[in-house]
Amino acid sequence: MNNLDRWLLVPAFIIPAAVTAPAFAVQYMNVEQAQKVLFPNAEKFDGQVITLTAEQKAAIAERSGVRVRSSELKVWVASHAGKPIGWVLLDEVYGKHEFITYAVAIGVDGTVKGVEILDYRETHGSEVNNAKWRAQFVGKKSGDALKLDEDIKNISGATLSCKHLADGVKRLLATYAVVLK
Amino acid sequence: MNARVDFAVMQPVECVRARPLLGTLVEIAASGKDADCVQLAISDAFEVVERIHNLMSYQADDSDIALINRTGFTHDVTVDEQTWQVLAMSEKLAAASNGLFDITIAPTLTKLGFLPKQVGMPRISGQGNWRHISLRVDNKVRLTRQLRIDVSGIAKGYAVDRALAALQSAGMLTGRVSAGGDLRVFGDIEQTIHVRHPIVATQLMPVVALTNGAAATSAGYFTHRRYQGRWVTPLINPHTRIAAGMNRSVTVLAEDCMTADALTKVVHADPALAMPILEQFNARAIMLEADMATGTCKFFDTAGVNAAGMQG
Repeated sequence: MNNLDRWLLVPAFIIPAAVTAPAFAVQYMNVEQAQKVLFPNAEKFDGQVITLTAEQKAAIAERSGVRVRSSELKVWVASHAGKPIGWVLLDEVYGKHEFITYAVAIGVDGTVKGVEILDYRETHGSEVNNAKWRAQFVGKKSGDALKLDEDIKNISGATLSCKHLADGVKRLLATYAVVLK
Repeated sequence: MNARVDFAVMQPVECVRARPLLGTLVEIAASGKDADCVQLAISDAFEVVERIHNLMSYQADDSDIALINRTGFTHDVTVDEQTWQVLAMSEKLAAASNGLFDITIAPTLTKLGFLPKQVGMPRISGQGNWRHISLRVDNKVRLTRQLRIDVSGIAKGYAVDRALAALQSAGMLTGRVSAGGDLRVFGDIEQTIHVRHPIVATQLMPVVALTNGAAATSAGYFTHRRYQGRWVTPLINPHTRIAAGMNRSVTVLAEDCMTADALTKVVHADPALAMPILEQFNARAIMLEADMATGTCKFFDTAGVNAAGMQG
């Protein structure tokens, strides 16, 4: 006997195998908004694109233990009252399932002041708005369960491990030490 | 910022942000009267989460948890009030579940590769359990056996609760905090909770609507790894020390997220035994169980069975 039999006393139904795999994506903020929350006191952000040389890339990889894929780096110097107070570095990381754009704030002391996610996208799957897929839930269960939401934002169990992100921050700290310091 | 002036008069501003904390992405959303005050409240809420992360991290060298693991057998360790609250709730849940919730399973997680091996830690006997954590007066903690504790099965939920409280005390109209499967909301909004298909993790399924409450989901889809030829998850039955398989996803609804988070582990460990414990904590569980052979998914819900269950 299955010890779950007691649970089956309630209305239970069977959800068919995946017909579509919806993608999940959120845009949290743009670069300007990220700059503002990372350095609220800054009056000015001066942007530049830094092109890493092969030697610099090797040095960053050596220092961080993380592979450097991109040779281009977008950086802003934040300043307050004419003095630099830190850097904002824009970067992206991707893993098997996700693609994340994020910004890291590094203070003049070389420590991380903050990390903000700009975009989070899951790379597999198609559309959440597939009517056929959604229709299978309608009317299956009364009451509070299975109400559909136009805007899916509450995925319990949504997020992936942050390993790629942690590696990315490590790589940017090394980039700071090699290129910006 | 002109747009803000136009809209602020008519409706509150909502902002959503995400940061990597607690080993996952923490997402905080709030609405208030203008964008600046909402962003400030969200920043403060993130600081609350970051503080809890630093206090209760297993990996960090200087957290309360690391200190207990290193010296708790030989010395009393005085912990922060927040760590104390998590340890006290852990004890309560362990007692209520007869050890189905147990924060001393860290050595099993290390063996399976979910937690790092640490150098400079005392050897453990392997015989200890939650009963060997002694919570004394004045936030002092003592281990009566050499143990390794890890509160990651409950601290995320606690962090969500505290962050939400920070949004509330900052005067936000609505708020939502989620951290890797733990979610809590407040305000005049109804939130539909979606969970992932236990096998096809990209498939989202709306399971329940939530207002002013908490939900926590545990499943192995993103954390599983291979150990001795078997796929295992970090969801360990403390009695058998066997890791749950991948085909089950458990969502618990409760008044607060710390309770919901911890109870998911109890349900994973033993769904049948979990029923009276869920009732005791006024919680409701929803379970999806995938059939590997057919790819279908069975849906279980304790609402209705459990008379004291929360009305979503």
